[in-house]
Amino acid sequence: MTKLAYYPGCSLHGTSKEMGETAEATAKVFGYELTEIPDWNCCGNTAAHSINRLLADALPANEIAKIKADMQLDTVVVPCAACFSRFMTAKHEMDENPQTRADVELVVGRAVDTDVRVLNLVDMYYDQIGVAAIKDKVRKPLAGLKVAAYYGCLLTRPPKVTLAEDPEYPVHMDEVLAALGAEPVQWSYKTDCCGASLALCEQDMCRDLIRKIVGNARECGADIISAACPLCQVNLDTRQVDIKAADPSWQQVPIVFLSQLVATALGLPASEMGWKRHMVPVPALG
Amino acid sequence: MSPITAELGKRVNAGAETNAFKCYQCKRCSIGCPVASYGDLHPAQVMRAVQLGDIDAAAASKFIWLCTGCETCTTRCPQGIDIAAVMDELRKIAREEDKVNKDTGFANVLKLNLDSMKRWGRMSEIELVALDKLTRPSSLMADVGLGIKMFGKGKLPIIPGRGDRKQMRRIAAEAERIEAERRRMRRVPIVDKEGGE
Ligand code: SF4
Ligand code: SF4
Repeated sequence: MTKLAYYPGCSLHGTSKEMGETAEATAKVFGYELTEIPDWNCCGNTAAHSINRLLADALPANEIAKIKADMQLDTVVVPCAACFSRFMTAKHEMDENPQTRADVELVVGRAVDTDVRVLNLVDMYYDQIGVAAIKDKVRKPLAGLKVAAYYGCLLTRPPKVTLAEDPEYPVHMDEVLAALGAEPVQWSYKTDCCGASLALCEQDMCRDLIRKIVGNARECGADIISAACPLCQVNLDTRQVDIKAADPSWQQVPIVFLSQLVATALGLPASEMGWKRHMVPVPALG
Repeated sequence: MSPITAELGKRVNAGAETNAFKCYQCKRCSIGCPVASYGDLHPAQVMRAVQLGDIDAAAASKFIWLCTGCETCTTRCPQGIDIAAVMDELRKIAREEDKVNKDTGFANVLKLNLDSMKRWGRMSEIELVALDKLTRPSSLMADVGLGIKMFGKGKLPIIPGRGDRKQMRRIAAEAERIEAERRRMRRVPIVDKEGGE
C-alpha cells in the first residue's frame, strides 16, 4: 500500500460521510491508503476568507506544514472542492507574496513547505490512479448510464490557483466516467455555481440556481448527475425535495458522488455506498 | 452623490491585493455571475462604485453578501482583476464601517460559521443552523421540514467533530492580532458624504 495524506474536512465527517467512505474504499483497490492528517482543523471555508485573509491562509497552511514535516509525505488528497480551493489558495498566496508567507509562518509557528501536491477527488482518479488503470479494474460497467459531470465552481476556478487545464469546460471527470463504461453528456452548467454557501439564508436564490443546473442536465439527456464536491451534492440533492414540494411537476434527478460511481463500477458492495443517505432516491446502478 | 475620491479604491486594492482602478466596464464579470440578477447592483457596478469612492453604494450594497465566491468573474476579467477578492474586502470594510446591509442574513451566517470552527476546531453544521435561528428572526421557520429530513438521514451529526482546539485557538488569536495590525496600518480614512473636500 502506498500512503497518501488525506484531509477529509468537516463535510466528509458529517453531512457527506458516503463521499469519504467511497473515496477511501476505491483508493484502496488501487493500492493507495488514505491516511488522515492527525488532529486536522477546519480549512476556514468561506467564512475565514471573507472575514480575515491571513487566517484563511494560515489554517490550510498549518495542515500543509504537517504533511511533509510530520507525516513525511508529499501528496495530499482533499476530496472536498471547497477545502481543495482553500489549500490551493494558501499555497498560491504564500508562493506569490513573501510578506504573506512571513505572516503565515509567524501564525503557524514554523516554516511551511508548500511543495506538496494537492489532489481533489477528480485529480485522485485522473492524475494519481489514471484512466487506464481504472478501466482495467471495472467489474460492473455502468453501460447505458447517461451522466452529467458536474464540477461546480471551485474545482477549476480561478485557474491561476487551481492549475486546471480547462477551467471553463473541464473534461477530466468525463473521462473517468467514460472509463467506468458510462456515457458522459455534453451540457451547459458543468462549472456553474450552485450557491451552496448561501443555503442557510438565500433559499429562493439557491432553488433558482439548482433548477437551472439540474434542468439543463435533464434537457441534455442525463439520467444522473455526478458531483465531486460535498457542498454541491448536498445542496442539489436536498433542495430538489423542496423544489418538488412546491412544484409537483419537477422531475428529480439523482445526485451521486463520482466516488460512488467508481465504487459501483469496481464491484464494491452496494451496502457500502451509503445510498440510503440520499434524499432523491438513486436507482440500482451497474 | 458623494465626491469622487480614490480612498475606497486604495483601501480595497490593499486588502484584495489587486487593482480595481483598471476596470474598464466590459461587464464580463456581470455576464458570467450566477447571482448578478438577484442583488441591488451587479459586479461591474460594484467595481465602478469602488473606483468612484462611493462607499454607500459599494460597501453598503446587498450584492456583496449574495456573492457566492464562485470565482467566475476573477477567471474571466480581461484586466486580471480579482473581483471575488474585492467582494470579500468590501465585506470586511462594511463590518469595519458599520455599513452591513440589513436585507441579508449572510453576514450573520459567516460570523457564526467562523465562531463554530474556532470553538471546536471544526465547523458544526447543526450548531450553525441553531445559532442562526436564534440570532436572526427571519430564519426561524426556514427549512425546518428539510432539516428534520436531513437529520433523519444522519446528515446532521449532533456532536461536533473536534480538531486540535488548542492549536485552533492559538492560530485564530495570532492571525486576528496580526491582521488587525496590518489593516490598521494601511487604513485610509474614508471621506464622508457631508465631510468631503
Ligand atoms: S470583467 Fe473586469 S474589466 Fe470587465 S467590467 Fe468586470 S471588473 Fe471591469
Ligand atoms: S465570485 Fe461573486 S461576483 Fe464573482 S461571479 Fe461569482 S458570485 Fe458573481
